[in-house]
Amino acid sequence: MKKSAITLVIAVNLAILVLLAIFMPQPMISPGRNIDAHAGFSSDCFACHTPFIGSSPEKCMACHKVAEIGLKTTKGEPIAGEKKNVAFHQELLEDDCVACHSDHKGVQAFRPISQFSHGLLRPALQEQCDSCHANPGDSLHRKIRGNCGLCHTQQGWSPATFDHDQYFRFDRHHETACETCHVDNDYAGYTCYGCHEHSRSKIREEHLEEGIRDYENCVECHRSGDEDEAERIWRSKRYGGDRMGPATGYGSRERGRRDGHDGEDDDD
Amino acid sequence: MQRSLIRKEVVPFLVMFGSLIVATFIIDALLHQFDLVWVGRYLGIPGAILILLSFFYSMRKRKLIGFGKPKTLLTLHETLTWLGSLMVLVHAGIHVYAILPWLALIAMLVNVISGMTGKYLLDRSRRFIAAKKEIYSSQGLAGDEIDRRLFWDATTFDLMKRWRAVHLPITLAFAVLGITHILSIFLFWQWK
Repeated sequence: MKKSAITLVIAVNLAILVLLAIFMPQPMISPGRNIDAHAGFSSDCFACHTPFIGSSPEKCMACHKVAEIGLKTTKGEPIAGEKKNVAFHQELLEDDCVACHSDHKGVQAFRPISQFSHGLLRPALQEQCDSCHANPGDSLHRKIRGNCGLCHTQQGWSPATFDHDQYFRFDRHHETACETCHVDNDYAGYTCYGCHEHSRSKIREEHLEEGIRDYENCVECHRSGDEDEAERIWRSKRYGGDRMGPATGYGSRERGRRDGHDGEDDDD
Repeated sequence: MQRSLIRKEVVPFLVMFGSLIVATFIIDALLHQFDLVWVGRYLGIPGAILILLSFFYSMRKRKLIGFGKPKTLLTLHETLTWLGSLMVLVHAGIHVYAILPWLALIAMLVNVISGMTGKYLLDRSRRFIAAKKEIYSSQGLAGDEIDRRLFWDATTFDLMKRWRAVHLPITLAFAVLGITHILSIFLFWQWK
């Protein structure tokens, strides 16, 4: 067979293949079947694709109104018994559908749903974990509402980073509900007042007796229920140590005086 | 000299082509190992560019350009097409999504094999058969007997010559299929 004949045969075959690619795009160039809900678009690539740009969000939103995602179908019918947490779609910083969604099943590996990032959400919603996530309901979490970010990161629920011991070590006298010390679910602060013998007047009396006037931030010295430990810490601070304790007591006021012996009593 | 042409020349050639395939698997494995699979998705672009750059030799051979030493350009042609093919093979991976890109890939592989046939086999094989013929003549064998003994080597050589002749038409096939694939990507791909 002459080279020119081979070239001619190949050229004819190529012409057929190119025509097939134009008129039968699904098997020839599409990276996989459309999802079932989009099967109707299988023969109309440009229903979703803008030439040389790709699938713009505008094309998706022509059918999927952002305000109705999770509430109504694309036909406007209310969604009954929707179990998925999809209401965050109304709180996205930017409408970029294909950042998370793929259609052709062949490219799902490229754009999996797991690409979701909390960074896509408006900052205000990022603080409201329980608007999408349910409280696990175990003995610890049953006592807590909100403020998940104090222990958890947006990358994953575990590992949780919170170590209560660096603030206060629980002992047999302090096994209590979180709300006892952290009023109104505010875990940025705490109070020891109001719990059995820790009345304001009694604590004041106990500390003034020892010459301690700066006693509002209890965990600065009291790292557990061990009073001897508290005394050791107070003495070490008194003789030149730095202030300790990351937490701020609700009762703390006028923190300008730090050595606990100068100035007047501020606890009136 | 008693060894056949297939064992002496074809097998080493296949080993050499196999190295391209092995290198593909190694790079693919590394990309998976280091969670860089996305790199493979875009490797088709530099691969295609390297293959395009290799065409200086083809243009020089057909006097379409006048610069460059043919021997240097040939070496460049071989190196760039090997590297470019490697990138395209990694780019293809083992994902079967559509027919057209795979046809382009098959055309590329046929192209590579026919090119390597030209480089590694033809000249050496011609010399190999001539040397064998020389030895048989010096042994006083008759022409018919020499032809009989050289039958399989001559057949192998003839097949290789035909294979080599495919190089240019298959280049046309690879170019058309490759360009159609690239055009379809430009038309539909989400670049963002």
